[in-house]
Parts: sequence; structure tokens; C-alpha cells
Amino acid sequence: MRIQSHCLTAIRARSVAALCALVTITACSRGAADRGDTTKATSASPEQPAVSHVYVAGDSLRLMAHDEILPVGFPASAKPLLIKNPYEGDKAAISTGGKLFIAYNCLDCHGADGSGAMGPSFQDGRWHFGGAPGEVFESIYQGRPDGMPAWGGRISNDQIWMLTAYVRSLSSKDLSTENFTGKTIERTGH
Amino acid sequence: MIQVVRRATTVLILALFACKMESKPPATDTTGSSDPKVTSTAAVGTSSVAGARIAVAHAGPPGEWQMPAGDYASSRYSELASITPQNVANLHVAWAFSTGVLRGHEGQPLVIGNTMYVVTPYPNVSYAIDLAQTGQPLKWKFRPENAQQAIGRACCDVVNRGATYADGKIFYNLLDGHTVAIDAATGTQVWRTKMGDLSRGETITMAPIVVKGKVIVGSSGGEMGVRGWIAALDASTGKEVWRAYNIGPDKDVKVGAKFKPFYAHDSGTNLGVSSWPGDTWKTGGGAVWGWLSYDPALNLIYHGTSNPGPWNENQRTGDNKWTAAILARDADTGEMVWAFQVTPHDMWDYDAVNENILVDLPIKGQMRKALVHFDRNGFAYTIDRATGEVILAEPFVPMNWSTGIDLTTGRPKVVETKKTAQDKNVKDICPSLEGGKNQQPAAFSPQTGLFYVPTNNLCMDFQARAVTYIAGTPFIGGNAPEKGGPGGYRGEFIAWDATTGKKIWGVKEPYPVWGGALATAGGVVFYGTLDGWFKAVDARSGKVLWQFKVGSGVVGNPVAYTGPDGKQYVAIYAGIGGDMGLLIAGDVAANLPYDVRERGTTLPDIARWTSWGGELFVFSL
Repeated sequence: MRIQSHCLTAIRARSVAALCALVTITACSRGAADRGDTTKATSASPEQPAVSHVYVAGDSLRLMAHDEILPVGFPASAKPLLIKNPYEGDKAAISTGGKLFIAYNCLDCHGADGSGAMGPSFQDGRWHFGGAPGEVFESIYQGRPDGMPAWGGRISNDQIWMLTAYVRSLSSKDLSTENFTGKTIERTGH
Repeated sequence: MIQVVRRATTVLILALFACKMESKPPATDTTGSSDPKVTSTAAVGTSSVAGARIAVAHAGPPGEWQMPAGDYASSRYSELASITPQNVANLHVAWAFSTGVLRGHEGQPLVIGNTMYVVTPYPNVSYAIDLAQTGQPLKWKFRPENAQQAIGRACCDVVNRGATYADGKIFYNLLDGHTVAIDAATGTQVWRTKMGDLSRGETITMAPIVVKGKVIVGSSGGEMGVRGWIAALDASTGKEVWRAYNIGPDKDVKVGAKFKPFYAHDSGTNLGVSSWPGDTWKTGGGAVWGWLSYDPALNLIYHGTSNPGPWNENQRTGDNKWTAAILARDADTGEMVWAFQVTPHDMWDYDAVNENILVDLPIKGQMRKALVHFDRNGFAYTIDRATGEVILAEPFVPMNWSTGIDLTTGRPKVVETKKTAQDKNVKDICPSLEGGKNQQPAAFSPQTGLFYVPTNNLCMDFQARAVTYIAGTPFIGGNAPEKGGPGGYRGEFIAWDATTGKKIWGVKEPYPVWGGALATAGGVVFYGTLDGWFKAVDARSGKVLWQFKVGSGVVGNPVAYTGPDGKQYVAIYAGIGGDMGLLIAGDVAANLPYDVRERGTTLPDIARWTSWGGELFVFSL
């Protein structure tokens, strides 16, 4: 709880020092990874109680019975927290992100407009390491095992957030059906 | 009528030949003699072209397949003759084997004795399959240590073009830049040598060959700003014996007293530096990711070099030696003996790494020691392999970037409007950057004297832009969307006469033919297609005699071997991918193998016909 609210503060205040940001962001996004995209998960599975899965981590913590650490009322009072990109939807920042995408050779791996080449596509709506802002930030910051270089420390966190905003802006929905029987290939998504 | 008589004769000869082959003959020559044997010149007598396959003695017994192309000459010719145009209709699947890997299966298996050896794309697992037992059980399986980061450093799918065999060991390269030697009997790793630096984008995808106790390997990474090299390792210890760079000072490139280029403009000191602005040669590409050939009589290794980096020509004015070139090197020392730059100052991504087929050909009444090379740039070159002289060069696919090759200099005459340039969008350049032909190797038959060539018919728009070198990231600076070439087909399997530079026949294909060819003494030629057909065609007429739909698109190369039962078998990998896989598979770089789906407009309909899969198919009568 304390960590999470600290995170929120840290993310809101963009001027946090790089090292601090690394620690808090990692902590936050680990939480985010456990939760997944709460909004999406909730809408995709209406039959499930809206927030129950958020507390999985908390439940297992409770089993450990660390009363000296757990705040009173945990986890019932916890609210799902997602890392926010300060530049999400910011047109100027997305445009700058697009320039960074070329300058740092992202384009030659991920294709023009993120259409996919050596590296995965950003257009297909499939995010191998998660598509939430914090998850995309983490992929750029830390790199990924299949060859994505780690950019954290090489470029500013601000630039990583702008790249995150740009990359996410390219995404469209995944296609579930491709019908090949007509003259043209019909593709429909969900 | 004459046709009929000829055919009857063919059958008779082939039948006799087949009988001989049924009883797995011993090695024709194991002495390692440097005297190249001329096997046959137009043995069946129906072709107008004669040609002699060289160095056949070094290929091992006819029923085996010991090295990537079957022999040092890169012939991809099998002397097995049981499968003929008359009986090929009876060909059927004998058995199949899933490799467990779903990426582009370029390359081919090896067959030594009663064992078949298969190497997969990354993670480069190898299998030894026991052909002598029912159900083809494994003798062993080897999983190498192979850095996962390599997946994202490989430009064009995580392919491997195969292993080679010598002295009881299987040698192959790992995507992460290592070369390994495996005990063929036990599957135990004998040695493992780091050859490439992954952090600088050096991966290895090519198939090595072993020459006089040395394993010859080369780097990939022409799209990552590497400085390409070729190297020799001691086959018994894995220790590096020599390494030659293709760019840089003469000392590094191994240009010295032995270097005698045919064309005057290729002479000079440190051309590998002076033909580049500033220090750009240090990140100039020139990788060796294609096929190797070796002429035992001349003791020369032949290899191509990749495109210069970056694609944006504005950042590297000059000839950019020795990128997009064919190089002949002394097999013992790596010293350069001659060099021919196929596309000087390449600005279309026309690598020159395609195979160099060594064959003696009668040209204008004279028998020439030829090297035949079907280049990405769309020209088929017949070159004197002793000197590097271009004897002739003719287009083998539709093209518009050049009006021809000036035979006094060997250089292409470039069409001004098709020159690419920074911040310009130059439209409709043919062939596309995939080339008139890419890695898919051609085959040569000494019976017909013809070359069987899988080709692409694609064009592109080329948009070059400035790019910064950042180690471990692509150094490209260009985008080149592709489209089908003129004529309404995107690939063609052709027969080529390299003595005249003429196409004899062609089988048009809806997709680029990204799989290699196999010519056989039975008069049947085999190849596979991107939409998953494995085909047998008549070597003389080009008539498609038989086809079978395999489990995935074919980008691999067929081989023929004699089984323990004395029958002739033909084996091919199915498994769509490779650079063409990049174009058609939106999830290509995913470790999650989804389906094949459209990217761009090059092959919008391929997903209807095939999907990912990695499988070996084996056929027999």
C-alpha cells in the first residue's frame, strides 16, 4: 500500500531523479503486471467480480501473516493503481516520440509506423510483454530477452515516456477472423 | 518423332544408371586428389549445352549428402537416378519428422551412412535420425547453449542454412555467433568457438564447409553495421586459423602479393578504406551469410559479400569495397586472389552472397573454368573462376535499374532515374531488394548442362534517409515497400544456359520461389514453393511432373540420398519464414508462433495457403 501510493506520487511528479524513478517504476509495474490492465480485464470478463483478482497478491500475503508489515485493513482498502504515462495522448509528445523512434533506430527493427520487421509489430494489438503504459516503458527501459536493447540510462526517462506514447498510438485492435473465401480477404476484429 | 526416340534412349540409359545406384556404391574417390574429375558432358545427349561438374570426387558417396550443396562446387546435383520423369508420378511420402521449431527452415539435412542430420532454426537444435530402423528413431538430439538475444539481432528471421560433415563430426553455426563441432556418432559437443560479437549485431546463419581440415565460416549482420569477415577454424580443435575482413586495410582484408584482380579499377592499396568516406568502412557491412564454394584444383574458396551499410548511399560515397562482391581466397591462408565487385556502391540492398557454382563450360568453342552466379541485382554472371573475368552477364529476371553490364569493366550501366538517394522516394525499381534471386540456391545438371534457378519477380519503391550508428541496433536508413513484378507472377523456376546467358524454360509461380533446387541424374529437378508445394519437373522440358502439398511453405533445399534399403529418397524441409517470412508474418519476431498474416501488399494472399510449421518430409517411389 505504501509502496503503491509512493509510486503514484513518483509518477505524477515527473522530476523524480532517475535512480529513484527506476526503483519505483519497477516496483509499480511489477504490481501492474500482476494485475494486468484492470479496466480491460474487468470489461472482458463481466461475469467476474470487478476487482476480485486485484487482491490475489494480497491474499497470498495474508496467508503469510506478516501483521507487522501489513497495514490495517489490507487489502480491502487497496485501490487498483496503474502507472500513468504523463504524455499519454499528448499530441506534441507523440510527434516527438515518432522522431525519437527513427533517431534511435527503432524503426528499422519494428518497421515503418511500427508495422513489424526484425522486431514485433505495434499495429497488431498483440503485446508480447504487455501493452499498458508501464509495461511498454519497462520494455524500453530494461530491454527484453529476445533482443530488445535496454535504453534505460542511455536516453532520458522523459524520452522513454514519449516513445511509449508514440508506440501505443500505433496500436489497433487484433483481428480474430480472416475470411479467405471471397475475392478480397475479409478481416474482422473483436 | 525424334523426340520420342530420344526419350526412349534416355530411359534406357537412366535405367542402367539406376541399377548401379540401387546398390549403394562405395565412395568414388576418397584420396582427396586435387585433380578435378570430369564426370559427364551432356551424358544423355539431348541438350545443346555441355557442362562438366567439377570436384565431384569430394562430395562423398553418391548416396550420401555430406555438405550443404552436396559438393564443393555448389552443384546440388545428385547422381541418383531411380526417380525419373517416367515414374515420378508414383512418388509418395515415406515418412516425416517435426523439428519442433516454427521458424523459417532454410537449408537442408545431411545424410552420412544410415544417419540423417537435421539442424533447426534458432535455437539451432540438431538431430541425428537413424534411417536403418523402422520409425526413424533419434540417435541423439543436441541442444546448444545459444543466447536468446540473438533472436532480435537477426535481420531476416532466425534461420540456419545447415551443417556440414567431415571426419566424424558435424559442424554448424549458432545464431548467437558461435561455431560448434558435434561428434556425429554420439551427439557430444567436441568444441564450441565464439566467432561473432552479438552486442555489435553479429549473428551467424550460414552453412559452413570444411576444406582441408578447416571449417570455413562467415558472419551475418549487413543490416546492423557490422564489418563482415570470413574465417577458418581448425576442425579438430576449433581454434581460429585465419580471419579475413572484407572491408578495411589490406592487412585485414588479406590483400597482398597474391592479389591479382582482373579489372584495373580493382587494383590499388587499401581500397577497402579509400573507397569509403572517413571511418564509415568500420560499420560498412559486407557480411558473409551466403554459400561457400571451393575449387580443389585452384585451392580457392569463393564467397560473396553482403550489401554495404547503411542502405542510405549518401552516407558512404565511393565504391565501398569489398561489399556486394565475389571474392576468391586462398583456402590455406584466406589471402585474396581476385575480387569482383558485382554492384559497386550498391544502393538497392543487392547483396552478392548468392551461391557461386563452379563448373567447366564450353563457351565460344573453348572450355572455360567457370563460376556461375545469379545475383540479387538480377544479372546472371558467367565468370572465369581462375581470374575473375566476367565472360558474360545477362538479366535472368525482369529488371529496370540497369541496361546491362559493361564487359570491359564488369560494371553495371545504371539507369539514372533508378538511383536511390537520401530523402527521396524512388519508385518502381526492379528487382526489389529481395533480388532476382536470394539465398535460395540453384542447381546444375551435367546431363543437361543447365542451371535450375529459383527466382523472385518483385519490384520496390526505395525511401532512403539518414541513420545513426548505434551498436546492436539496425544500421539501415531506408524503407523499401515491395510489390509484384511485371507479368502477374511473383516468382519463376527457370532453366538457364550459362554459356549463352539465356533462359531455356520457366515455371511461373504465384509467389517468390524462396526454396532451393535439386538436380538429379534421373532427369528430374525438385523444388518447393512458398505456398507449400513440393514439385518435380522434367529437367529438359520444365514440365511439372508431380507435386505434393507439404505442411508449410518451403524455403529449404531438397537433397537426395540412398536409404538403407537401397532406394532413392528425396528430402525437403517445410517451414515458411526467412526474409520472405518477414514480409508475410506480422508476428515474425514473436516468440509466440501465431499464424502467417499479411504485412504490406507484397503477398497479401499467402496466409490462405500456408502457415508456420517446421517439418522434414521424405519421399520415395
